[in-house]
Amino acid sequence: MTTETTSAPPAAGSRTPARRRSEGSYTAHVGRPGFAWAVPATLFFLIFAIAPLVMVAVLSFMSWNGLGSPRFVGMDNWSRVLDDPVMIKSIWLTLLVTVLGVAIQTPLSILLGVWAAGQQRNRAVLSVIYFIPLLLSSTAVSVLWRALLDPNFGIPAQATWLFGDGNLFGKQASAIGVLAFVSTWQFTPFHTLIYQGAARAIPQVLYQAAEIDGAGRYRQFFHITLPQLRNSVVTSMILMIVGGLTTFETVLILTQGGPGTDTTISAYYMYQKAFKSFDFGAGAAIALVLVVAATIISLIVVRVSGYDKMRSSMEGLS
Amino acid sequence: MKIRARLPRLVAGGATLALALSLSACGSGTGGGSSDDGKIHVLVYGDASNKVEKQIVATFNKTSDVKAVLDTIPGADYQQKLQTIINTPQAPDVFFNWGGGSIQPFVKADLLLPLDDFIKNDPGLKSNFLPSVFNSAVVDGKAYGIPMRGTQPVLLFNNSSVLNDAGVQPPKTWDELLSAVKTLKGKGVTPIALGGGDQWPTLMWFEYVYDRVAGPELFEKALGGDKSAWESPESKKALSMLKELVDAGAFGTNFDSVKYTNGASPALVAKGKAAFELMGSWYYAQQQQDAKDFAAKGLGYTTFPSVSGGKGDEADVVGNTNNFYSVLKKTKHPEAVEKFLKLMYSDEFVKAQMAIGNLPTTTNTEKFLDTSASPAYSHFQYDLVKKAPSFQLSWDQAYPPSAITPIHQAVQQFFNGQVDADGFIKAMQALPTE
Repeated sequence: MTTETTSAPPAAGSRTPARRRSEGSYTAHVGRPGFAWAVPATLFFLIFAIAPLVMVAVLSFMSWNGLGSPRFVGMDNWSRVLDDPVMIKSIWLTLLVTVLGVAIQTPLSILLGVWAAGQQRNRAVLSVIYFIPLLLSSTAVSVLWRALLDPNFGIPAQATWLFGDGNLFGKQASAIGVLAFVSTWQFTPFHTLIYQGAARAIPQVLYQAAEIDGAGRYRQFFHITLPQLRNSVVTSMILMIVGGLTTFETVLILTQGGPGTDTTISAYYMYQKAFKSFDFGAGAAIALVLVVAATIISLIVVRVSGYDKMRSSMEGLS
Repeated sequence: MKIRARLPRLVAGGATLALALSLSACGSGTGGGSSDDGKIHVLVYGDASNKVEKQIVATFNKTSDVKAVLDTIPGADYQQKLQTIINTPQAPDVFFNWGGGSIQPFVKADLLLPLDDFIKNDPGLKSNFLPSVFNSAVVDGKAYGIPMRGTQPVLLFNNSSVLNDAGVQPPKTWDELLSAVKTLKGKGVTPIALGGGDQWPTLMWFEYVYDRVAGPELFEKALGGDKSAWESPESKKALSMLKELVDAGAFGTNFDSVKYTNGASPALVAKGKAAFELMGSWYYAQQQQDAKDFAAKGLGYTTFPSVSGGKGDEADVVGNTNNFYSVLKKTKHPEAVEKFLKLMYSDEFVKAQMAIGNLPTTTNTEKFLDTSASPAYSHFQYDLVKKAPSFQLSWDQAYPPSAITPIHQAVQQFFNGQVDADGFIKAMQALPTE
């Protein structure tokens, strides 16, 4: 393969054909790897993501309790799932938990992240302490908080002025509050880390210029830091949304979907259907609803935020 | 001991769940026979009781040409994993279960071997066990399980020093219970500890009150598919009694936030913050482990109070009758399996179970009661189970697994007022019975 065939012919009137030729050869060898490069990843994705997804889709049209052979039942699972008041409720609960997570964690982690990106004294030590929840497994975190929030022996017993009789898990509002709080406690450090990295990457010259122009710290934050973090906000929000939609362990251990079905979010409902009730068909249908919903929501976020255009956040610098 | 303490450690996000679903789908279909490596595979729930199962398998292997292999599934997702492998070539020959609803789907799928032929060869395989226990693994008139661990009746435990301080006697009747609740509440003590967060401890109250008011027949009828049983006057009476107890403040106000499985509700009783707790017989061992002094000095236990005018016998018991070994139809070595099952009423088996604190349900257990670590408690339990006219298997184990979640939700919602009696009746009528 020669350089001439792959790169565009030199533009008419070009004065430096030699140089162009060498640029072209550079592109041909490194810029666009062939399909072969993508084979391992594609295979992996096909086997572990696409194939199971297709099988789940097929399973959602079958009745199967794990014994014997699955039997085709047409739309039966779907009409049951879509008519099921608990399923409808679980979708709203999932959205609520997700929105709560994003609304609470985003401002918190931006502030913490920007703070952690600075050069203050003791910053490193405090940051390490903030990041500890990140090192614990979700299961451990949930077990820990379940014990800490025990109405008779935990925090509520010591602060009755705030918690009353401490029946946090017995009412819907407080049970959802606990779920939101525990995920915030657990995942804010992760998003803080994203924002810390992004804030560190903001060129100092912007702040120096702003200072010369007389901008105070708040103006600097709102007019330089926040706009510069835009891409990170989108990244972090997509991670939060996907995490919110698939919240599972916290519900399993903290509330078990209770009281009644008041915290039965979709992922937990799918687990109940598939692995507690052995109704794998209905479980598969719920799983598909979740997959479709998560995909649509991520697409919307990507579109609305302009993330797909991947514009540089270095505007005005080059 | 904490067979009821199901704390699944399954950690699955949406994607992995999809994966798991399809992986288990791969495993099915082919059916096939039990793996034939010239051995019998015995599958049990993995916990501290495995010590005895190992010993029995070793004893069996000393004399048998066909060797037995013990496989364990640790942790709480036993039923899920069993369901996944039971119809594959990896299926065991003999497996642990809870009788009743836990094996019903397998019987319906024609996977299990009725043990009638074994019993014909050796009547001792039936007559050496307490009938009320043996019967909970009988499905459609055929025996499918041999009891293989200890019985776990539900008892009403109390903190005797709290009762003394309040001048209250352990209640013999429902009315005495109600007045004890009133007195204890006046003293500022939570009358009854309840781990409502786990849901199944709440269910135990329904099981006993329904039995005392309506006798065991009502539940048997409902389980058999006659859903009108749930709207009978007895059913409504039982529900109104339960409602009265909850409204009287018997369980305090925050019981839904308390769990048994993390030790919170037993601690309430041990520390004297609550007077009573209704729990399976494993409670005794739990308190010995968590609060040794209290278990030795202050832990009292009685049977559930009687209800005047109720149809149920005051000697009836509810709970986990026992665990069972069931046999797969496709086992290649039925004779060896039969021989293995006979060990479940041997003296060696009984002694080994007693040594780890389990109370077997064989007729020869009586001889060894004095060798137990707490003979008085063992005698009390054994006599209770032996004399019980009815030993009702826990509802969530009598029904097929698909009913467990709806049952747990319904009892929780009735106790916290989210549904009324009619709502509860409707929920129970909607349960799948097969």
